[in-house]
Amino acid sequence: MAKRTMRRKRLGLIAVVLLSSFHVASTNSQSGGDSASTVKGASTVKGGTIAFALTSLRWATYLTPDGQVDCPDGVNDGPREQFAALFPGDGKGRALADTQLQREVQNWFPTTAPDYFKFREPRGPHALGLNLDGKTDPEDFTSPQGEPGIDNQLYRVLGCINSYRDAQGTNDSLNSLEIVSDGYNRLLVELNGVTSLENSDNVEVMLYRGLDPLYTTADGKGFLPGGSQRIDVRWGQKFIQRLKGKIVNGVLTTEPADVAFPWAVFALPTDEYLRGASLRLDLTATSAEGLIGGFADIETWYFQLMSSQSTHCQSYGQLASMSLYKAMRRLADGYPDPKTGANTAISSALRATFTQVYILPESKAELANIKTLQRAEPYRGPPNPRSVAEEMGDFADVRATLTKAD
Amino acid sequence: MPRGVGLLAACIVATLACSPLRADDNPKEVSRAVPLPPGVRVEATELDGPVFADPAGKTLYRWPLRQLRNGQAGDRAGSSECTDVPSVVSAGLMSPYPGGLKLPDLDERLACTQMWPPFLADADAQPVGKWSTIKRKDGSLQWAYEGLPVYTSYLDQLPGDVFGGRADKRGGDTPAMRAPIGPPPDVPPGFAVKTMSTGRLLVTDKGRSVYASDRDTPQKSNCDATCADTWVPLLGPAYSVVPQGSARGEWSLIERSAGIKQWAYRGQPLYEYRLDTGSNGFRGSDVPGWHNVYTQRAPSPPPGFTVQDTTAGQVLADQHGKTIYTYFCGDDSQDQLGCDHPRQEQAYRLVVCGGGDPERCLQTFPYVPAAQDAKPTSRSWSVMTIDPRTGRSVDAQHPGALRVWAYRDRPVYTYAGDRRPGDTFANGHGEFRGLRNGFRAFWLRDDFFNQDQPGPG
Repeated sequence: MAKRTMRRKRLGLIAVVLLSSFHVASTNSQSGGDSASTVKGASTVKGGTIAFALTSLRWATYLTPDGQVDCPDGVNDGPREQFAALFPGDGKGRALADTQLQREVQNWFPTTAPDYFKFREPRGPHALGLNLDGKTDPEDFTSPQGEPGIDNQLYRVLGCINSYRDAQGTNDSLNSLEIVSDGYNRLLVELNGVTSLENSDNVEVMLYRGLDPLYTTADGKGFLPGGSQRIDVRWGQKFIQRLKGKIVNGVLTTEPADVAFPWAVFALPTDEYLRGASLRLDLTATSAEGLIGGFADIETWYFQLMSSQSTHCQSYGQLASMSLYKAMRRLADGYPDPKTGANTAISSALRATFTQVYILPESKAELANIKTLQRAEPYRGPPNPRSVAEEMGDFADVRATLTKAD
Repeated sequence: MPRGVGLLAACIVATLACSPLRADDNPKEVSRAVPLPPGVRVEATELDGPVFADPAGKTLYRWPLRQLRNGQAGDRAGSSECTDVPSVVSAGLMSPYPGGLKLPDLDERLACTQMWPPFLADADAQPVGKWSTIKRKDGSLQWAYEGLPVYTSYLDQLPGDVFGGRADKRGGDTPAMRAPIGPPPDVPPGFAVKTMSTGRLLVTDKGRSVYASDRDTPQKSNCDATCADTWVPLLGPAYSVVPQGSARGEWSLIERSAGIKQWAYRGQPLYEYRLDTGSNGFRGSDVPGWHNVYTQRAPSPPPGFTVQDTTAGQVLADQHGKTIYTYFCGDDSQDQLGCDHPRQEQAYRLVVCGGGDPERCLQTFPYVPAAQDAKPTSRSWSVMTIDPRTGRSVDAQHPGALRVWAYRDRPVYTYAGDRRPGDTFANGHGEFRGLRNGFRAFWLRDDFFNQDQPGPG
């Protein structure tokens, strides 16, 4: 495994604002006193405040027609194909414990042992995302608009897995659908101190979880602005976070901060955790759209995948979780573990769309009663992981055969 | 909703006193009288309400046909698929793994009929009500309910035990499970009863929770028009009468105003909460003075357990605040037999809790220890002794045996990866999101996903 240079992303600059001691009541004073005032040209901004609800969220992959540029070698195999390669139907009468269950061991207790299979990564120069470290490094991408220094190593992991590819991607589609259909995922973004949706120097950006459904168009595919939302102050306190931002030429940009947000899939409450995350959203009076970039905590990310989707579900989109984990570890590029030096996070980007909503005043009043909020933390992974040597002992004869064939 | 704030503040202290769990001295659910075969009786249970039982009091179950990922398993009306020949290979009913793989521990594997003895009928048995008989392949007669053959479970020991399966349907990728059968609850049209981990919850026939107010007095609503904007009275037909057969007179109709009648249960006028967003909601109970209505409450956990808030609701936790987990397992044989009980196959559990290593399993998913003087607090909560190396139940004198707490006759666990109260990082750990070979948190309340139903089986 090629050892990548570990880069400590500009930790010193990152304002970690998860709210261990944040007094939420302060947000009320940010919204100004005149609730009837509106920003010119944007009637949905009331007293310097406008809010949005998340309507779609996707890991940002940059795709070319038929994958000719991004995945010229094709896409990766999934669990079904890998199982067939490891254990061909040769009439040997294999035991479930030695095959199926041992593969599940590898999925649930993953290691950085070399993969049995060659992992295919995108080869093109372009990717969506943000320049998270302010530098242009050899492994960075260039945005489709020509911006250099794009940090999105997660794209290298996901870009040639069918499950994350537009149109045919199971995860890409299902995960985004659940953002809307599942109330657990109702992420709200509230901007306070807005003097203009074109330019505002000092904007407080609050993240909440909402409690109410979204208004959709008659066909259920679009979203109507103007709905009302309550803030989940009972179970959603971990998701109440404050960021600092500014609006320049209609684009909201936030300063890097660690951000946790809910992303449950298939009825299991799971979350994502991005370190040094920034929002870059194009704003209108009725919508917001753009990118969320940051360093995805790998263990939290993998836990979200594994607990949300069984190997069966993963096989729909040819997503082999064990191979994916190894690639994430290999391509990780941020937040090295102080003890081991291994990077714990991987640069990433999400495409997000929002529709404008109003947060009910009584809900804000409830918020003011909360004195201290619990700080969200990433998952630290299985407490007693398997070792590389242990995994190397699994199917040793098969490993030798596959390696030789490769 | 400012009205909820007071309770919220009070409930930050995570103790059972502040939880959805209540004392055990509550009345039991009443069922409707139905025709029964000779010897069959109705038995009260702690979690599943009234069930049918054989003459010895053992709960009766069915195994309904169920569509799985790659085929079907279970009984069709009129015949039994449960045989006395043990399965030897997997059926491949759950993808992506193929069938034909040799099942674990074949030398110890039981046949379906050993785990699910058919409830046999006398040769001259006659159909009665929804009961009939089917002829098994060996010529014996087996009782059937609504056409499906009926069994007992080898796990049930005493009357009222329901350790073989659960009453409510569980969806997703769970095995084709056996479910206890029983008489319908004695509720009027428009109501139903749902089995939750906290008790048998009264809901409407659309699944919405039913609430009662402490401000009401017996047979009288004090919820005025403003109140009724939020708390919707559950109205009955103007000329309706209370259901016949309510031996304890638990249902009545009160008159809100001339000609407008409202249902009351055990004297309490009933309402829906307008702000409940889904089925089986508990959000109304956050409003001081309002609470969900149960036909019977589940037994409280033993002393020392706590309740913790999560991002989706509340979970049961140990004395240190660590979330409690239960283990679910059903194999992929054509029999769809359980593997989540310490009398059953442990190979599956050892894989997901420790990568096949019993020691790692103990460190990662430790049992919840019971003190030497700990006593079972109910049939649902018991103390059992486990050989930690094998995961099998053993007698107390067995060398190295652990005394551990068990729920529904299966050990409960914590997860070493949970660091703070309210963490649920092992919820869904294992195959099929924890529903086939894995762990699920012990949910007492789930405002989003309806996970708050009682454990495995």
